[in-house]
Amino acid sequence: MLLKNKTAVITGCNKGIGKKILEVFSENKANIFACVRKIDKEFETFINEIVKKNNNEIIPIKLDLNNEDNVKETSNNIINSKKPIDILVNNAGTIHTALFQMTTVDKLKEMFHTNFFSQTIFTQNILKSMIKKRDSSIIYISSTAAIDGNEGRSAYSSTKSSLIAQAKVLSREVGRYNIRVNTIAPGLTNTDMMKNNTPQKFVDELKLRTSLKRIATPEEIANVALFLASDLSSYITGQTIRVDGGMHF
Amino acid sequence: MENYKKYCSAFTTTFSIAGAKMENLEYNKIEEWDSIGHMTLIAELEQIFSISIETDDVVDFSSFKKGKEIIKKYGINIQ
Repeated sequence: MLLKNKTAVITGCNKGIGKKILEVFSENKANIFACVRKIDKEFETFINEIVKKNNNEIIPIKLDLNNEDNVKETSNNIINSKKPIDILVNNAGTIHTALFQMTTVDKLKEMFHTNFFSQTIFTQNILKSMIKKRDSSIIYISSTAAIDGNEGRSAYSSTKSSLIAQAKVLSREVGRYNIRVNTIAPGLTNTDMMKNNTPQKFVDELKLRTSLKRIATPEEIANVALFLASDLSSYITGQTIRVDGGMHF
Repeated sequence: MENYKKYCSAFTTTFSIAGAKMENLEYNKIEEWDSIGHMTLIAELEQIFSISIETDDVVDFSSFKKGKEIIKKYGINIQ
């Protein structure tokens, strides 16, 4: 129960890594603002199940990173709830695969809008609550693509590496409030987003170049988020932690 | 008048300054009003007036006088 009496905000938590982070944080007794683009019956059922199991509070809240007004409104609603925010997980994001010379500027702008600018606005607002409270943790979910620069991922890698840079700078600025800021860079992880955007041939080749000879489960990423959210990582800030099974080239 | 007193109190709390000196205060013109002091002032004003100041306005808030115009945008009249 590493997150007992803590309140977390998690973005993009109705599937993949985000959903697993929601589940793991709930198991560890965090109360959570679960931010998703669409609150559907399936998601509500899922939340009800884990709340029943873990006896904590999860508030689903609509967050559309493509709509700046909604980003501001949602973050203000969270602040106005007056619940002190202990943890922010910036997980939501989108992916695009195309050669650099087949990546339009419009697509780049769209990717940056969702993966970087909207998350920046959201974080700037939520941070106001965290600075008042102090002693908090912000976790950005980036990608090994941001560091390794995989072919076909110029737009995605650029947005994800921007998050790494922002997290590092932010860690310098808010450390005085004992707010830690770290980034997780997952390697290939078994999610629908990965499967829908990565040819199987590439996955098979990558496994051969990974020490553990397999791709990650979402839970393995969520567990690192749990560590960074908890007091177990109280002296870790400004870091990017690769969770890649020992990927090498 | 009430709002003016509240507005001034934010500056007093943040920069330990009071009286007529406040009217001519500008960002970065005194040691205390650096970027960290600025964010502390913004947080204080947000709390006092129960508002959330947008980042563009945070950046534009360059002086005591300018701040009054900015706070007015959030429905708070400071005279």
